[in-house]
Amino acid sequence: MTLSPRLQEGDLARIARDVNTHLATYKAMLMVCTGTACVSARGFTIRDSLKRKIEERGLASDYLVVGTGCNGFCAVGPIVVVQPEGVFYQKVAEPDLDEIIDAHLLGGQPVERLLHTDLSSGRVTTRMDEMGFFSKQVLIALRNKGLIDPENIDHYIARGGYQALAKILGGNDPESVIREVLDSGIRGRGGGGFPTGVKWRSCREAALARGEIPFVVCNADEGDPGAYMDRSIIETDPHSVIEGMAIGAFAIGARQGYVYIRKEYPLAMDRLRVAIGQARDKGLLGEGILGTGFSFDVTIHRGAGAFVCGESTALMASMSGRVGEPRAKYVHNVEYGFRDRPTVLNNVETWATVPVIIEKGAPWFASIGTGDVKGNPWGGSTGTKAFSLVGNIANTGLVEVPMGITLREIIFDIGGGIPSGRTFKAVQTGGPSGGCIPASKLDLTIDFDSLKDAGSMMGSGGLIVMDDRTCMVDVARYFIDFLVDESCGKCTPCREGLFALSRVLRRICDGKGMEGDIEFLEEICRTVQATSLCQLGATAPNPVMSTLRYFREEYEEHIREHRCRAGVCKALIEYSVVKENCTGCLACIKPCPSGAISGKKKKVHVIDQDKCIRCGICMEVCTYDAIVVG
Amino acid sequence: MANKIQITVNGKAIEVVPDTFLLAAIREAGFDVPTLCHHKDLSPDGNCRLCISEITERGRTKLVTSCNFPVRGPMEVKTDTPEIHKHRKLLAEMYLGRWPAVPLVQHLAKQCGVTSSRFESELTDENPKACVLCGHCTRACDEFMMERVLEFAGRGIKRHLTMPFGEVDHHCVSCTSCAYVCPTGAIQAEDDANRPLDSRKIREWGMKVNAEMARLDKKQNRMREVGTENLLEIMDAYDLLPVHNYRFGTHPRAKELYSALFKRDHWTQDIADSCWHGCSMACSKGVDGFELRTGPYRGQRVVVDGPEYETAAGAANMGCFDREFTVEFNFYCDTYGIDTISAMTGIAFVMEAYEAKVITEQDTGGLALPFGATDAALTLLHQMADGKGFGVDVGQGVRWLRKKWAAEGKDEKYLADIGMEAKGLEFSEYVTKESLAQQGGYGFACKGPQHDEAWLIFMDMVNNQIPTFEDKAEALYYFPLFRTWFGLMGLCKIVWNDVVPADNFKEKEAHKIPGHVRGYWNFFEGVTGIPLDEEKMLEQSARVYNLQRVLCHLLGFGTREHDRIPYRAMGPVTREEYESRAERYDNQLAKIMGVDPAGKSTQDKMKLLREHREKQYDLLADAVYKRRGWTQDGVPRIERLEELGIALPRIVEIVKDAQ
Repeated sequence: MTLSPRLQEGDLARIARDVNTHLATYKAMLMVCTGTACVSARGFTIRDSLKRKIEERGLASDYLVVGTGCNGFCAVGPIVVVQPEGVFYQKVAEPDLDEIIDAHLLGGQPVERLLHTDLSSGRVTTRMDEMGFFSKQVLIALRNKGLIDPENIDHYIARGGYQALAKILGGNDPESVIREVLDSGIRGRGGGGFPTGVKWRSCREAALARGEIPFVVCNADEGDPGAYMDRSIIETDPHSVIEGMAIGAFAIGARQGYVYIRKEYPLAMDRLRVAIGQARDKGLLGEGILGTGFSFDVTIHRGAGAFVCGESTALMASMSGRVGEPRAKYVHNVEYGFRDRPTVLNNVETWATVPVIIEKGAPWFASIGTGDVKGNPWGGSTGTKAFSLVGNIANTGLVEVPMGITLREIIFDIGGGIPSGRTFKAVQTGGPSGGCIPASKLDLTIDFDSLKDAGSMMGSGGLIVMDDRTCMVDVARYFIDFLVDESCGKCTPCREGLFALSRVLRRICDGKGMEGDIEFLEEICRTVQATSLCQLGATAPNPVMSTLRYFREEYEEHIREHRCRAGVCKALIEYSVVKENCTGCLACIKPCPSGAISGKKKKVHVIDQDKCIRCGICMEVCTYDAIVVG
Repeated sequence: MANKIQITVNGKAIEVVPDTFLLAAIREAGFDVPTLCHHKDLSPDGNCRLCISEITERGRTKLVTSCNFPVRGPMEVKTDTPEIHKHRKLLAEMYLGRWPAVPLVQHLAKQCGVTSSRFESELTDENPKACVLCGHCTRACDEFMMERVLEFAGRGIKRHLTMPFGEVDHHCVSCTSCAYVCPTGAIQAEDDANRPLDSRKIREWGMKVNAEMARLDKKQNRMREVGTENLLEIMDAYDLLPVHNYRFGTHPRAKELYSALFKRDHWTQDIADSCWHGCSMACSKGVDGFELRTGPYRGQRVVVDGPEYETAAGAANMGCFDREFTVEFNFYCDTYGIDTISAMTGIAFVMEAYEAKVITEQDTGGLALPFGATDAALTLLHQMADGKGFGVDVGQGVRWLRKKWAAEGKDEKYLADIGMEAKGLEFSEYVTKESLAQQGGYGFACKGPQHDEAWLIFMDMVNNQIPTFEDKAEALYYFPLFRTWFGLMGLCKIVWNDVVPADNFKEKEAHKIPGHVRGYWNFFEGVTGIPLDEEKMLEQSARVYNLQRVLCHLLGFGTREHDRIPYRAMGPVTREEYESRAERYDNQLAKIMGVDPAGKSTQDKMKLLREHREKQYDLLADAVYKRRGWTQDGVPRIERLEELGIALPRIVEIVKDAQ
């Protein structure tokens, strides 16, 4: 077997043509989602069985089975999409596969019972483009999701991949690449929202001024609970990140790039490793890329999973073999970053977006989104943003939407609203250091600045939806506890202040809150926010501050009335039996872990409050609404 | 010097150098902010956040920590707004809640007007010597000693000080820097293993050295980064680097031996390296995995120490501007046990004799030996070690070779002028033509022309600190005694002058680096309990030094004739040398000797210059002998020996006929 030849510039179009011609010979392609969520629901088995069955039945020349990266609609996996029609099958199990082959592929009739039913409308949909979850999305970073095999570079090239790199190498004008990125108005997708073009320009200037060769770094240390945009992008389309980094490297004059990825992302790491290997084989990484004088390579650096290592200076400290702790950023990474050389660090989503900006041009990108970035790179939020939609929401999954869309559109139109008949209470954006935004702000447009004004932030794009059974004090406590664990402990306000916040919040949740606690919380928050060393600390008070801003009365109820309206804080609630509803079915007695429920068949049951540990299992198992919490 | 920046601190205008840390600027303006994690000798860390100030720069106002914020443009600074006060107070309250019994914290609380704390918790530590996580120790370990034996472990509120894996780390050299900088006493040094009289005095001096190495070395000589090799580019720039057997002091190709290239291509590990574990200067360097091209170990990959300045300069002296060659030559000298300086200076002499056709391939056993003949130079080295061929002759040294060739009827006078040895020892690698002080430093040295008895070239030629004849003569009294004292004490002399205190320029006798000399005295006193001053120190070493000179006399090397140096060390021997620096020499003829060089032949001018320079050297010898209490023939006077209390009968016996 010979190694694949190193590509020259014109070869890309030929490969694209060849692959597309080949794919067109199939009657259909079966795209089996093998993102992490679907893999955990046996996605690999589905892919392999389907492949085997197709082969066994001699259909391999007509039907191609492709394992793709994350489809996005994680709530309903494992997912199989039949392309090019776009028929979407959900929750597919192995026994369903024969039916798909017989009824759909051979019989021409979609298998109705595997189709998706829209929760809000009750309508059964056949094709992806009919589904609310997909129809409002605009895909840039996730342009290839569900459409390619992430472990096959030819698929990426067939979808126009590496053409943007070829274009800029042909133009050989790094300044114009930076100008294009600057004019596009793209701001860092990692959360800070710093204009990418400004960062690149400063880095290039610093590198030229000092005669140093700069570095590019991809921040794939996604650590927010409930956020998985970056993981999915790498799992779905690793070459888009590599191509973006190569473009950035060319623009600033770098020859080496690093991807800092947490080791909790084994699938993403594997796919990235495969992609880097393929790109090297094809001469798209390494010396003399595409036959030009440009050389660039990418190395993977595994992070051990500390949340703070997503902070750029801590990330670089970790990459240097030091303790992953931030340093003051008065001197920026673009001047003195990794190994004290000028360094551009961008997040996965930003890198994945770059090739599209180069391909379609800055004006096209800037036309999507809000605000005006002409003249002021901070003037608006252009392009799209990927969000992971989790929590109390019907359509859990990964979405990409244009900047400027409202929270309501995302949560209700795309997300399908709140399940189980509950009502929307708040959405936490921006990860643990983000804030909780209440129902009154559902029509808030999503962009970097409006979220900040609302007391939250864009963050990396996690959206955690909460229904009315969520206690906002408890939510604040949860996130602060997360941050107490993840604070590096270097600076005093973050280390001592967050611990104090946690103690006070716990006290309030335990019903031991005192007058003055709210003011004390606010006092700590202000100092932690103003004096912390890094952005982890500076934004850490957000969960407390935003819940105090929008849900202050819940804090007051906890402290003054010893009441948790959501029925979450154990010290403040009691489970009791509604006599009128209880049928005496005995169903709640056995599951009760503390033996707190007594009662005879067909007699009203009784909960012993001294024994009850307030776990809520009784309420879950009761089918007669006979147990209430309050 | 970059333009200064105008800033105002609490309304008061001051000027600062760009990149001054804000804290220094605030203090310069006469204000102060509380600090806890700041330490004057350590890099700022900004972890306590107490030193926050409000700055307004280009219309934007923000809070920054003063200790690590570099001032880079005009700004307004406020150090005590109500907002700052509020934050500072709460931070102090946090400290007080966690460590209420630590005096430093109590002082801080008082300073910020905090009397009680709402931050008391189950983690409150009543120990008055608790660690307050300031990080002085971890930074001292890293910056003073380049170790990271101490580090913080545990995230967030679990942060605590530890050694790797919670075990005593064998990399710890017990330097006690961490205990020295600890502000609470959480780290205590248990030392005194050698039972010095006053360990505090010793430690204070040691820590001062550590701090200077950490803060000043990177701005001064970069000993940690490139070691003594940093001198190569300085010597090249000042026309003092020996090239082609000391004919010239610079060469276009000398750049190939600069430290930056050794650093880029050869030195491995990219760390400061020390010849003994625990030195905070750590100027050693090394090349790992070097593949040898020649000799018995050809093809093997080896570890090579250095090269030091002298070795790289020796390569230039042979015209071999080749780093690979230098490293290989260095390796074989180390392996054979041959001194690099003697070997290189010796080969340079042979090369010049070969180029001048004083010797031919008949003399060299068929080896072609022009300057730059790297392979031939290595062959000679291998022959020396093997006891074969021409290498055997070269291995006898310059003096032996010179005499042998003279006996064979070769140009004796020329060979005497260019044979760079005195008292039978080859010169080390500095061009001394323009430095009368270093000529004396080489010529009058008891052991021969080796630089560590009186390394005056830098203070004479680079820093211009001993401009007059009297200064030079006095330096030749003081420095050989001072440097002999180091040897007696077994102390490293590199620490004395390669990095100097930031305020050394303010000293009256800056070239002596008095701050460091006082440090050595403190060290001596700390060990022995005997206080020292310059007089006592010089007396200690003068006894030994004069005894050495007496022994030189006994061995037949102790009189004025043996203190002579070849003329190549004083001035241009060849036309080519003179003409390459004609402007300089012509100027000197006119200005110093009052001779109009116009119309004179080079030969005539060389003769005049030689007469002048040889006379200067003789005058210097007169003055130095007198100052040292020696006869005009360079023999210690019996009175001087009596004064020093070493006029023992057997010693007097040696010198009495030479009085």
